[in-house]
Amino acid sequence: MVPAEYYLLLSAAMFCIGLFGILTRRNALLFLMSVELMLNAASINLVAFSLQWGNLTGQVFTLFLMALAAAEVAIGIGIILVLYRNFADIDVTKPTTMRW
Amino acid sequence: MVSAFEFVPAIAVLPLVSFVVALAFGKWMPKKGALAGIFATVGSLLISIWTALTVAGFLGSETVYHAELWRFATGIGTFNLHLGVFVDPLSSLMLLIVSLISVLVFIFSLGYMNDEDETGLPRYYASLSLFSFSMLAFVFADNILMAFMFFELVGLCSFLLIGFWFREDAPPSAAKKAFLVTRFGDFFFLIGVVGIFATFGTGLFATEAGFPHMAEQAITGEMPGPVGEFLSAVGMGAQQWFTILGLLVLGGVVGKSAQFPLHTWLPDAMEGPTPVSALIHAATMVAAGVYLVARMYGFYLLTPTTLAIIALIGGFTALFAATMGVVKQELKQVLAYSTISQYGYMMLALGSGGYVAAVFHLTTHAVFKALLFLGAGSVIIAMHHNENMWDMGGLKEKMPVTYWTFLSGSLALAGIVPFAGFWSKDEVLYEALIHGLGSPVLLVAWAMGLLAVFLTGFYTFRMVFLTFHGEPRSDTAEDPESVRWNVKLPLGVLGVLAATIGFINMVPVAKLTGLKIDFLHKWLVGGEVLNAEFLTGLEHYEPILKEVAGIKASYIAGGEIPTLLISAALSLGLALAGVGLAYRLYAVPEPVAHTKKLGGLRTLLMHNYYQDEYQVWLAQGVTLPLARAADTFDQGIIDGVVNGISSVSLFSGDRVRRIQTGVVSNYAALLTIGLALLLIVFGIVGGWF
Amino acid sequence: MIPLQTSNTLPDWAALAPAIILAVTALALFLIDSIDPNDESPSMLAGVATLGSVLAMVVTGWYLVAGTGMPRTGGAIELFSGQLVVDGMSLFFTFIFTSVTALVCVASYDYLSGRPNQAEYYALVLLAATGMSVMASANSLATAFVALELSSLPSYGLVAYLKNDRGSVEAGLKYFLIGAVSSAVLAYGISLVYASAGVLELAAIAEALGAGIDNTGVLGVGILMVAGGFAFKTASVPFHFWAPEAYEGAPAPVSGFLSSASKAAGFVLAFRVFVTAFPLDVVAGTIDWALAFTVLALVTMTLGNFAAATQDKVKRMLAYSSIGHAGYALIGIAVLTGTADQSYALGASMLHLFVYGFMNTGAFLFVALVEYWGVGRTFEDYNGLAKQAPVACFAMTIFLFSLAGLPIGGGALSKWALLSATASAATLSAYLLAAALIVNSALSLFYYSRVVKAMWIEDPAGDFEVSSYPTGLYAAVVGAAIVTFLLLPAFGVVSGTAFDAAAALF
Repeated sequence: MVPAEYYLLLSAAMFCIGLFGILTRRNALLFLMSVELMLNAASINLVAFSLQWGNLTGQVFTLFLMALAAAEVAIGIGIILVLYRNFADIDVTKPTTMRW
Repeated sequence: MVSAFEFVPAIAVLPLVSFVVALAFGKWMPKKGALAGIFATVGSLLISIWTALTVAGFLGSETVYHAELWRFATGIGTFNLHLGVFVDPLSSLMLLIVSLISVLVFIFSLGYMNDEDETGLPRYYASLSLFSFSMLAFVFADNILMAFMFFELVGLCSFLLIGFWFREDAPPSAAKKAFLVTRFGDFFFLIGVVGIFATFGTGLFATEAGFPHMAEQAITGEMPGPVGEFLSAVGMGAQQWFTILGLLVLGGVVGKSAQFPLHTWLPDAMEGPTPVSALIHAATMVAAGVYLVARMYGFYLLTPTTLAIIALIGGFTALFAATMGVVKQELKQVLAYSTISQYGYMMLALGSGGYVAAVFHLTTHAVFKALLFLGAGSVIIAMHHNENMWDMGGLKEKMPVTYWTFLSGSLALAGIVPFAGFWSKDEVLYEALIHGLGSPVLLVAWAMGLLAVFLTGFYTFRMVFLTFHGEPRSDTAEDPESVRWNVKLPLGVLGVLAATIGFINMVPVAKLTGLKIDFLHKWLVGGEVLNAEFLTGLEHYEPILKEVAGIKASYIAGGEIPTLLISAALSLGLALAGVGLAYRLYAVPEPVAHTKKLGGLRTLLMHNYYQDEYQVWLAQGVTLPLARAADTFDQGIIDGVVNGISSVSLFSGDRVRRIQTGVVSNYAALLTIGLALLLIVFGIVGGWF
Repeated sequence: MIPLQTSNTLPDWAALAPAIILAVTALALFLIDSIDPNDESPSMLAGVATLGSVLAMVVTGWYLVAGTGMPRTGGAIELFSGQLVVDGMSLFFTFIFTSVTALVCVASYDYLSGRPNQAEYYALVLLAATGMSVMASANSLATAFVALELSSLPSYGLVAYLKNDRGSVEAGLKYFLIGAVSSAVLAYGISLVYASAGVLELAAIAEALGAGIDNTGVLGVGILMVAGGFAFKTASVPFHFWAPEAYEGAPAPVSGFLSSASKAAGFVLAFRVFVTAFPLDVVAGTIDWALAFTVLALVTMTLGNFAAATQDKVKRMLAYSSIGHAGYALIGIAVLTGTADQSYALGASMLHLFVYGFMNTGAFLFVALVEYWGVGRTFEDYNGLAKQAPVACFAMTIFLFSLAGLPIGGGALSKWALLSATASAATLSAYLLAAALIVNSALSLFYYSRVVKAMWIEDPAGDFEVSSYPTGLYAAVVGAAIVTFLLLPAFGVVSGTAFDAAAALF
């Protein structure tokens, strides 16, 4: 059996890649994809430790997580659509009418 | 038989009802809400009288009353928040004063506001009612938190009333200043309140569960458990910590009672309508501070340092404000400074262990200062709202009622026997003297207070002579507007009282003749229940004063009676000297005009020339620089500190909000940094790595 | 008389009735819209939404009075093998959510008049409210996460509801992006906690951790990340960045809804999860989360208030002040150490959120009223408003002074309760919190009174006329003002319930 630390390292790496994407990408869709990476990092942990602990809780929760991620994307695409209509761009750094 | 105590809450609730009525229906009422206020305050006055009679023991055996009215929130242990009523000799006396002055001010307002066709009267009467309500509720509060709440409400009402004419320039800024400066003090008060609750777990003023008693236990012997734990957590001795608490609460007192250095709001507050000034100065806002010290006197007695500071602040304020009063041009300004000065006397008395003297002076001052302000209001009506004394003169013949009552008030203020102020001021100084002989600090405070007596006599009669004597110096003074019964009635009532109220505590006479006529003293000593159970009687305070505070009486010239006589003679002599000087300088037909007609009657003019020189020297050479220095201090340091704090807050607020750049990627980055920082710090602390 | 004891008369699932009513109402709104997709007559939609939320509120109130799920009627009711729980705390918070929802629905009737897609708006509000009430009942990290998303996703849509308004869309975008990141952080935190404990039910986590912690690093990071996920919901530092923009750009009733109800939902989840799953004595060697919350509370209240003091727009000022209030409410969980009376501290926070629910929603609804009239957004634009609309301005004055902590509304008493909680804790950090609370409250009085001054004292700049007095908005504003004021005398009634509910958690 693969030691648990490996899964932890893998998921941590994925989480950080996602985080890196969030911090560097200005395209709203890519931002969203990076968030998905972070969520998937959580899923890896859950599935791996579900095996480790010998119960199904983690795997079931992963299913929930996937469904929620899909819902989140649906809302996100909607918002990105109206963003494009109003700002003619999907660059997340463009809308700065409100600040300070 | 029904006990008056059941109705004590109604004393405050009646004005509250009239507040609502005046606010909601004032527009459609015949006198725009004044009648509601008059009925309510008369009701309060009647119940207050009834209560006072009950406390005096004429109506049954129960003479002290403590009850919880409404509990807001149950806390930990006694740490709860409630409204309660506590009636003892001190609070019943104060209830009487406040409701009496309120009634008279309402009646006077009919003449000052309604007859002058002011607009916004419902708002005026509503605020006035709310003012009375807050003060009355403050007076019978049984715990310091309730007291604080109503203390703040009093401040809010004064803000509303001082800024009543909000369309003009000066009143709103004066109102703001009053609100800000007193809040500055209240800020310390609030911290003090929190400290008291944290230390004792209770804010009760009286009974053995109250905080003054717990503090006393902590100092004199057996330490109550929670207090001990708290003190060891703070790492301070009981006395030291209680001194800090006392000083914090004193911050609120200094602000509200307009003591140095937070007195600056009060002269500006003259921008409000004159009846409001009367109410603020005589019975409500300014009195609240001194009353609070008297209310928790059992606590202050435990910390000699605080007492000494109170006495010093009091003595210094008395002198300092009196010097400024000497040079003011406007009638109400003189009165404003005299108020500051007189409250200084009360603080002096409290600080030097003269509890009775302070309460006595509070009582007499309430009467004569209300009288003087209402008299000034009457003059202002007559002068069509010109307040400059140099434009007055000769009003004596035109308005005799105002003159004679004002004279009665002035004699009381100056402290001329047998008017009210003489008895109380004499007692204040006597107490300060006998206790000061053993303590240099108190002696200094006493000396300043004594010096102020002379100045008081001087500025009071300067004001009287300039206003009422001599020849009219302007057209309006030639033909002043007449005032009606609603002005004369309050003046008459107060005029008689100002002359006679001193008889309630003629200590010198009592000591000399052996007659038991020091009624107020006996009143405050209280019954057995008060001292044994509620611990707010004088009999309970006196041993603490001697043993804990270490303030003992000593006498000069071989005993009590000679000391008494010397003290009385000194203060009376100085007051008379002040009056005399004012008489020589100003009781002439045309005190100013002489300088201009120097070519005319030579001998008399020379004489007057010297007077003017002297006056100019007094005003410009001594007092003006002093006053100017004081003013610079006010403007520069005190306002500077207040402004500085707010601008630092605003500046840092401005920096803080610049973090919010509006770019969502930056937010994500900051969020990540924040989380990473937390992870690193707690990782290191928790030893995760 | 029949005793009002639901456990005797109703099945267990009925304890979830408030959430069920909210969900059914949301579905009913979709049904109505699909049968009659006509936005010309919104009274039906607003009526149904209000009715549903009021019904849920009444049921919750009845349960609270009857003692459903409380120790006196047999303790907490667990449902779905312990995934959800109904107890005093969940009902107390559900009452906040449902009453805020009712106020918002009533106010939205006027605010939305003439706009398209109203059925979706009301349905989203009710769905979010459903999510919040499930959050209050969540007894496992899995249900907590699902419920949190159920309340968040509709909120994103609501903020961006004015889809032709750049501000609204921008607010929606920022809220959504930060929300997505935060939920990913929360999910990752949950996965790490699962890695350490092997279970997701709160009580079971505490039990598993009590048996021994293998890797403190994994657990510590997990707990902090979970705290971060909740901090997003409560708009606490450092997850607060979305809040000023989202509250400013969103339709004002939605701002009120989010800053009161959604914030409270985040708090109830934080209270339950940290108290039940990570008791301080169990995780003591890993992380002192009370200290973490102390730091967050201090920074949050200071940042919120200082930034609010320099704003030019009233709505944005309220947004920042809302962050400040999140800091105050954090005090309750930050002082759960040492000698503190724990149920009192938690109860104090609950009370503050309760009072805040009314006074803050009311303030935002007043802003909605002003937006409805087409008055500008800055402080100067509010000049002289009291001459045109004295009743609404009087209500606003009550809200603002109560927010500042003056004894004109319940806000003074809830701050008092927080202060006494810190005093009972008697630790250095607790005194620091108390001092910060006082200083910030003093500062807040400054900027709140700017609005009051503008409304009552200043003269109006332009000559604008208030043309109409919308019934719904007025009813909501006045209703909230009355409740805020009544909470002053009736505080004792509510506080008893709150302290009991909090005590049941320990």
